[in-house]
Amino acid sequence: MDQRASPLPDLAGLLGEIAAGRQEAFRRLYEIEAARLLGIAMRILRRRALAEEAVHDALISVWNHAARYEARLGSPRAWLHTIVRNRALNILRGEARTELTAEIESFDAASEDENPEEISSRLSDADALKHCLERLDPTPRHAVILAYTQGLSHGEIAARLGVPLGTIKSRIRRSLIALKECLG
Amino acid sequence: MSDAAEMTALAGEFVLGLLDGAERRAAEVRLTRDPAFREAVGAWQRHFSALDATIAPVTPSPALWERLAAATGSAPRPKPAPQQPGMAARLWEAIGFWRPFGLAGAFASLVLAVLFTQAALKGPEPPSLVAVLSAPDGRAAAIVNAYADGTVQLVPIDRVTVPEGRILEVWTLQSRERGPVSVGRMDRARTLRLNLKGLSPAEVGHLFEITIEPPGGSPTGRPTGPVLMKGLAATSL
Repeated sequence: MDQRASPLPDLAGLLGEIAAGRQEAFRRLYEIEAARLLGIAMRILRRRALAEEAVHDALISVWNHAARYEARLGSPRAWLHTIVRNRALNILRGEARTELTAEIESFDAASEDENPEEISSRLSDADALKHCLERLDPTPRHAVILAYTQGLSHGEIAARLGVPLGTIKSRIRRSLIALKECLG
Repeated sequence: MSDAAEMTALAGEFVLGLLDGAERRAAEVRLTRDPAFREAVGAWQRHFSALDATIAPVTPSPALWERLAAATGSAPRPKPAPQQPGMAARLWEAIGFWRPFGLAGAFASLVLAVLFTQAALKGPEPPSLVAVLSAPDGRAAAIVNAYADGTVQLVPIDRVTVPEGRILEVWTLQSRERGPVSVGRMDRARTLRLNLKGLSPAEVGHLFEITIEPPGGSPTGRPTGPVLMKGLAATSL
């Protein structure tokens, strides 16, 4: 599933230790995962301070709830990614959220306008998602990738892809059903 | 569209983060009750997680680990920073803090004046500070009264729907450095005495807000759910 980290660290084991309150395990998890988690949050939030806030909150949640991780629901890494992604999306939506808006910063140019085709091309050839995304038309394929990786809303996707808002909603819905049929 | 296809699409939109507020909350409730929907959401999460492997890692600043270490135990806790509510208040205003709340500020001050007049007629001791908490559509939804003796009370003035299995949590933000602090929880909107123990007394410019949180309160100790209403404390007339 992951091509970068090899051999795979025992994240499930670390989560078990974290559930028992061992901070050195938490530190180890941080060392292994924080940069990836921050990358995920940055892609959605674009601002470093906000993204670090999302990673902070997500990891505090992991510290408090590590015992809730269940191996049958997916890999520990996917679990961590889901937590940080959800936190980042919450921050993105609640733009009025308390102190977070007090950060005056420019957008990080590096993560801006990341091309959905490039993201898709970086998917492993062995991954069913790549194969199935490629079977979609470019517009819904880009829409799905932009929504997942950058947290864009229907309106933002419509604007970015130059498609009417009413059209993009129904096209994404139909594409999701087609994707699911392909993914099985 | 068949029911199964409908559910597949909805679960996919949920995982992609495409549902709007009400739809998303409905989906969250459905997650707790409908195992088939939970399964569909889990499947999408697994499928889309492949996209996480395309990420470029970003090295966090050293401050991130320091904060986490402090919050989880061993490292020495940083000293509390000096409080600058006036500064914080200006910042929020400057950065469009009120933008989603439209004209709430202007409208709220009218409501505040009316409500305060009524309170002053009834009560022997008027509050020294009031904050009108506005909903995102600009409706005044609750008032916070702070009295000279240090007690602080929340009084709802508009109906609030709490999603099943969720609670309301009241926060105050006295300074950016300290961040939001929980001062009360309730299962439905009701008059509530807020607990400001360990905080400075309420001051002009302090923020009060209410968010929707899981039972028992926010798991992170910071607001995690949607903001239902908020307002800044002001001197009463």
